[in-house]
Amino acid sequence: MHKQFDGTVRPAVTDLTLDIAEGEIVALVGPSGCGKTTTLKMINRLIEPTSGTIMVLGEDQRSLRAHELRRRIGYVIQQIGLFPHRSVRRNIGVVPELLGWDKKRINARCDELADLVGLDRDLLDRYPAALSGGQQQRAGVARALAADPPILLMDEPYSAVDPIVRERLQDDLLTLQATVRKTIVVVTHDIDEAVKLADRVAIMNVGGILEQYATPDELLGAPASEFVASFLGRERGLRRLALRTVADIAPITGPTITPGTTPAEALEAMARFGTPWVAVAEGEHLLGWVGRDAVSECPAPTVGHLPLEEFVSQVSPTTPLREALDVIVNARSRMAVVVDRAGAATDGSTVIGTGGRYLGMITIDEVAGGLES
Amino acid sequence: MIADERRSIIWWGWVGDHLDDIWQRTVEHVQLTIIAMLVGCVISFALALLAVRVRWTYRPITRVASILYTIPSIALFALLIPFTGLGILTAEIALVSYTILILVGNTVAGLDAVPESVKEAADGMGYTRWRRLLTVEIPLALPTIIAGIRVAAVTVIGLVTIAALIGIGGYGALINDGLHRNFPTPIVIGATLSICLALLVDGGLAIAQRLLTPWRRGQ
Repeated sequence: MHKQFDGTVRPAVTDLTLDIAEGEIVALVGPSGCGKTTTLKMINRLIEPTSGTIMVLGEDQRSLRAHELRRRIGYVIQQIGLFPHRSVRRNIGVVPELLGWDKKRINARCDELADLVGLDRDLLDRYPAALSGGQQQRAGVARALAADPPILLMDEPYSAVDPIVRERLQDDLLTLQATVRKTIVVVTHDIDEAVKLADRVAIMNVGGILEQYATPDELLGAPASEFVASFLGRERGLRRLALRTVADIAPITGPTITPGTTPAEALEAMARFGTPWVAVAEGEHLLGWVGRDAVSECPAPTVGHLPLEEFVSQVSPTTPLREALDVIVNARSRMAVVVDRAGAATDGSTVIGTGGRYLGMITIDEVAGGLES
Repeated sequence: MIADERRSIIWWGWVGDHLDDIWQRTVEHVQLTIIAMLVGCVISFALALLAVRVRWTYRPITRVASILYTIPSIALFALLIPFTGLGILTAEIALVSYTILILVGNTVAGLDAVPESVKEAADGMGYTRWRRLLTVEIPLALPTIIAGIRVAAVTVIGLVTIAALIGIGGYGALINDGLHRNFPTPIVIGATLSICLALLVDGGLAIAQRLLTPWRRGQ
């Protein structure tokens, strides 16, 4: 499609073709003036394209009247735009009301949505002015989802909230998406947000030129142009690490011994790995670690009799590699132990810090290797 | 004795004897005001909607309204009498014309002050233009619109007294009567009641505004 505003020389969006699959989150990113918001607004016809067609769920969106189309597409904007004269409940119920749902059904839906987006039900009967920025944002998302539209459009949804709240709202959106499985198009100027939220990212340049449309991983791994590379900025490698988890890499055994090992064998393991300590594990249970001095002076026949220290630098298979890297560089040993805590909580006898399935260790080498695949 | 009482600021004996007359004038005054305000509101809202929808009409509308507003009321009566005669129609035309500038101005200002984000959200949710106007924009513009109605109503209540000059009643008839007979009591009564009515209506509208805009409480 193509969009040129009246009275302008350059088109706002130039011959853009974008294919968005059902159930995926697509981020439109680019500098100001790249036409990302214009593109978004053409989807629900707040702006009409100059030429070209937009198919929504296999139907030309112009086959419906604009206001009817919009009732089927959720819309979240940066300034949220809750109606100040209506209670939060009536704000959330706006689209169902337009669609003629009865009051009881709307009320029940509002309660359900409040729970879904993490909004205290007590807030539903207040006016929007009584809500914090983050709560208003949640109410805005609830309103967009009210009539269960298959598509959700979000225009810079989190740029008006402070960074801590933003991060939580982003996490919540991803959790939410896992249950609702909407097709979401989100406009943002924040590449980190795009990489975090989106299954695919469309990087646009001034004039609505599509520079690259790929998964965040492909984008960061192989930017298609100088523009994309500069837009992605430095720390591309680190950003890519954020997309992967410890589960994506193979941990090493490292200096690990069993409690039945003799002090001599333990010292040998330390020498082999060049560490002043060894980890002590029994099967899949990590018991702790013991230092060289303690082992050298060990009066007992096996190291199992020595008091063990607890590993501070632990990661789990779900830890993003970027975070794991942080743990590693902050650890004196330059290593992190990988412990799968899933299921550990069910074992009542498990002491925090020693429970879970011990999978091995990772160093900076394993993390860096994660980018190669 | 009687001559003295006639000259005093207020002669309660006369007031007591003329309660019926005073009540009659009150009814007339209120009627004239209500008619002027209703017609003024209808015309002004229509013009304001036109001005908001078709932006270029705003300047000519306010230009004409402000010219009307600047014409002295007595001159306006004189201008109208050849066409509409001495009577209620002339009085109402004059009264209505004074409300338009205030009402159009405030209505347009109120509608303009509705946040862009709220309008965009309404459009995005699938509101039609009329529905957006009626259920979102007008309610949000109400405080400003009612503020305009208050000023217009107070203005009209004051102006109705002048309509006595063309033989239309209201408190102006009392004042006129007193002036002609050099008799202060009806002047004082007419003026005082006109002021009281204005304050009463202003206060009533202020309360109505608060009741109609509950979301603004505590802000």
